[in-house]
Amino acid sequence: MPQWISQAQFAGYMVAQEKGFYREAGLDVTHLTGGPGKNCFASLAAEETTFCTGWLSTAILQRAAGLRLVNLAQMIQRSSLLLVAKKSSGIREPKDIENKRVGFWVGDFDAPGLFFLKKHNLRVQVIPNYTTVTVFLTGAVDAVAAMWYNEYHTILNCGFNPDELSVLKFADTGVNFPEDGVYCSEEMFESDPAACLAFAEASLKGWKHAFDHPDETIEIVMRHARDANTGTNVAHQRWMLAAMKDLMTPDGNDEVFGRLSEEDYRRVSEALKEVNLIREIPEYTKFYRGPR
Amino acid sequence: MISWLTDSIVSKITLLVMGGTSAVLGLVLAHSYTSSRDIILRESEQNARNLTLSVARRIEQEFRAVSKVPAGMAEYVEAQAPSSTQNLLDLIRALVANNPEVFGAAVAFEPGGWEKDLAAYAPYFYRTAKGIEYVQLATPAYNYFQMDYYHIPKLLGRPLWTNPYFDEGGGNILMVTYSVPLFWPGDKGEHGDFRGIVTADVSLEWLTELVESIKVAQTGYCFIISDTGQFVTYPNGAYIMSESIFSIAEEQKKPRLREIGRSMIRAGSGFEDIGDALTEQEAFLAFARIPSTGWALGAVFPKHELLAEVTSLHHQTVVWAGFSVALLLLVSILVARSVAKPLLRMADAAEKVGRGELDIDLSDIKTTDEVGQLARSLAHMTEGLKQRDFIRDTFGRYVTRDVVSRLLDSTDGLKLGGESREITLMMSDLRGFTALTSHMKPEDIISFLNRYLGKMVEILLDHRGVIDEIIGDGILAFFGAPEPLPDHPARALACALRMQEAMKEINALNEADGLAHLEMGIAIHTGTVVVGNIGSERRSKYGAVGSAVNFTGRMESYSTGGQVLISQATYDHVADIVTVNKAIGIQMKGIPGTVTLYDVKGIGGPYNVYLSQADETSRPLVPPIDVTVWRLVEKTVQGTGVPALITHASQTSVVVNLCEPVEQWEDLRIRLETLGTESIEGELYGKVVSAERHLDSCTAVVRLTSMSPHVHQYLTKPA
Repeated sequence: MPQWISQAQFAGYMVAQEKGFYREAGLDVTHLTGGPGKNCFASLAAEETTFCTGWLSTAILQRAAGLRLVNLAQMIQRSSLLLVAKKSSGIREPKDIENKRVGFWVGDFDAPGLFFLKKHNLRVQVIPNYTTVTVFLTGAVDAVAAMWYNEYHTILNCGFNPDELSVLKFADTGVNFPEDGVYCSEEMFESDPAACLAFAEASLKGWKHAFDHPDETIEIVMRHARDANTGTNVAHQRWMLAAMKDLMTPDGNDEVFGRLSEEDYRRVSEALKEVNLIREIPEYTKFYRGPR
Repeated sequence: MISWLTDSIVSKITLLVMGGTSAVLGLVLAHSYTSSRDIILRESEQNARNLTLSVARRIEQEFRAVSKVPAGMAEYVEAQAPSSTQNLLDLIRALVANNPEVFGAAVAFEPGGWEKDLAAYAPYFYRTAKGIEYVQLATPAYNYFQMDYYHIPKLLGRPLWTNPYFDEGGGNILMVTYSVPLFWPGDKGEHGDFRGIVTADVSLEWLTELVESIKVAQTGYCFIISDTGQFVTYPNGAYIMSESIFSIAEEQKKPRLREIGRSMIRAGSGFEDIGDALTEQEAFLAFARIPSTGWALGAVFPKHELLAEVTSLHHQTVVWAGFSVALLLLVSILVARSVAKPLLRMADAAEKVGRGELDIDLSDIKTTDEVGQLARSLAHMTEGLKQRDFIRDTFGRYVTRDVVSRLLDSTDGLKLGGESREITLMMSDLRGFTALTSHMKPEDIISFLNRYLGKMVEILLDHRGVIDEIIGDGILAFFGAPEPLPDHPARALACALRMQEAMKEINALNEADGLAHLEMGIAIHTGTVVVGNIGSERRSKYGAVGSAVNFTGRMESYSTGGQVLISQATYDHVADIVTVNKAIGIQMKGIPGTVTLYDVKGIGGPYNVYLSQADETSRPLVPPIDVTVWRLVEKTVQGTGVPALITHASQTSVVVNLCEPVEQWEDLRIRLETLGTESIEGELYGKVVSAERHLDSCTAVVRLTSMSPHVHQYLTKPA
């Protein structure tokens, strides 16, 4: 189960499924749909899904909280989170959002935002941010958290030009948390590590194929999006797929593709500990079981 | 082809006229097209703006009307507070039932907004095929608090039209939700805390129908985009709710379309040339905003349809223009031909004139315009040429231009037919020339003669003399006809003196070229002769006949080199201004008595010409020069040579001692045998001016008329 609605953010899994990479690996995989109201890690705990995706920060929090999950592959290598404001609001740097209304996701996706505010010692009026960017468009918030590959482009395609927007990248302000990874329960991994690693490998193969065949991939993604009523369009998914390629192989670096470095893991864990979101840092080797 | 273009006046005029007219017509057409296009465009723009504004206003009214339903409900709930849950549910059901445009309605409360212990409560009534159904929206799977229709009005504290969406349960109808916030009663009439919302789901079927029903030109269309650029209605159904004007712009890489989208959702209304940004063909877009929802209505006008009228009008104009140009072509060819035809005739005529055929007839060219003028000028020119030719034929080359023009200008014409008139005749001759030429190379003779005659003719013409004849070295000229010159005797005399003077110059040139030294004799006589055109049709000349002419010839034979002889008749005319060296009495055959001739030294008065005197001082030659002497009769050598001696010599004469007697006026040829110690080859010619007989010999003074250069050199050497 992916952690969000059907879109190019999960193109690799859709392609792996569609091209039969899972089947080739001897796996019989059913693609569930995620989205608002669905909690991947909760579904994992409840054994409603065998594998799921999720943010590294969220997964560390879950592991620290006792959910025995393991990372099989780290897909997004850096933070794609942004704070977007209208240039007219005068917001240019993190300190400018002090006391402003800022739209953040709550729940599973709040850790980087909390660390961001703590790190820059900011007090803001947090407005919950749900599935749309309407809070931003209607002016209900001064700034809004957005994923570069998704909401930022949505805002652009609501008629805002990049030069009318002020963008604060989390990655540039010391909150560079890697995001999507593939997870399963520790129990599952211990019972059949080969199958788990095969799933991770097939998923990575799916991603590779997706990056190499963007047109075919967009077609597959659009089919899934239509089935799931995502209400999107080709332009948006194309942007997202290109962004995913950039996020998963930063600067064309294939070596980190699918891997979680201990350094990244430590950095995120320590940041979470710093803001008291966790007390103990879970052991890296127990947490990351993917390819090294 | 090129030569046809450049060589024919018809094609030139035609081309120029056609080119000019076509250019002017083209400009006029272009101007008329652009201005009529501008007018139509302005009109169309106004119509298009009006259309979109009126449709937008109508849609706005619908939205306003529908928005009053949930707003009224919200007011009621706030003010009257439904007494029970059943009462609330009845109200919502009635709202749906009574408002056919409302597809469904809900009242969704904040936690505790309806009953204190209810964390979520949102009753919803909606239409189905079976009738109005009820459902509770608050379920664990559906968190209405997170929905835009709830969340945003709560944040903003004001009503909101949501983005449109397809209703999945109700048969895929395009819907939009109007959501009005509910507040707890506050103090002093102000709002209290947020309590929840009242929503009305409105089907947009009417909107789709309305927009589709608007006819825009033939193939134009209307569409609506939401305030985020999403297509709400569009002919291509696939766009609706999935694509936005911006996503299409991005996918089709049309930045212009993105700009258009931004204008549509930001400006109140507008009209833009959108090129092919939205359609395959070029089009204009008129748009107007629908204020309630922030949506924008656009109307696409295909350009070619908008301009169809102008284009068809323009096509007609172009056809007419083409027709006019063709007509003009015909006319200009006719005009050009009417010009070219007489021109060609004249060209032919001029060609004939060039060949010397002066009998041309251009009388059929009767126009009075410039072409006619040219024809008349040509005829006039030919007439002039004819006259000039006549005068040329008559006077030869040897009359001055002055004389010619005077003759031509004299209105009474030239009396060339023959008349008796007193004129002065002049005859000149080079002494000994004929004999001399027998030893010269032909080309030397010609260059010699040309140099001599050229100079003499020039002087004659300067004095307005008419040259009757040039035979070899002899010239016969006269003064006083055909133009009357009252001073013809003096004029002739002055001319003769100048001719003699010129001989010095000619001799200097001749000597430099190694040619013989020559002397010229001139005789002048005034008498009455008959002058006129003498000759046949084919060749005639203006000349003089009469005894005076013959007399002049005879006189001339008595002249020696460097001498100008005038007759008594001439002398009588110029007596008061003439200076004479001496008078010479001559017995002429056939003329009784002595004829007196005057050897002239010069003439005064206005003419003032005097011959420079040659050094005639004789010096004795010791020893004398042995020579052989021949007599010349009629310019040819007679008999055998006689040995003789030259005892004295001056620059102009020698004294010869010979054993045979010679007569005065006899011409002699003298060959030098020895010349002192030097041996000089050469010969002299001369005329005996006096002879003295002795017993067995004779002493003669011989005036020299020509001599070889060496001899001349020797004689002119200072003593």
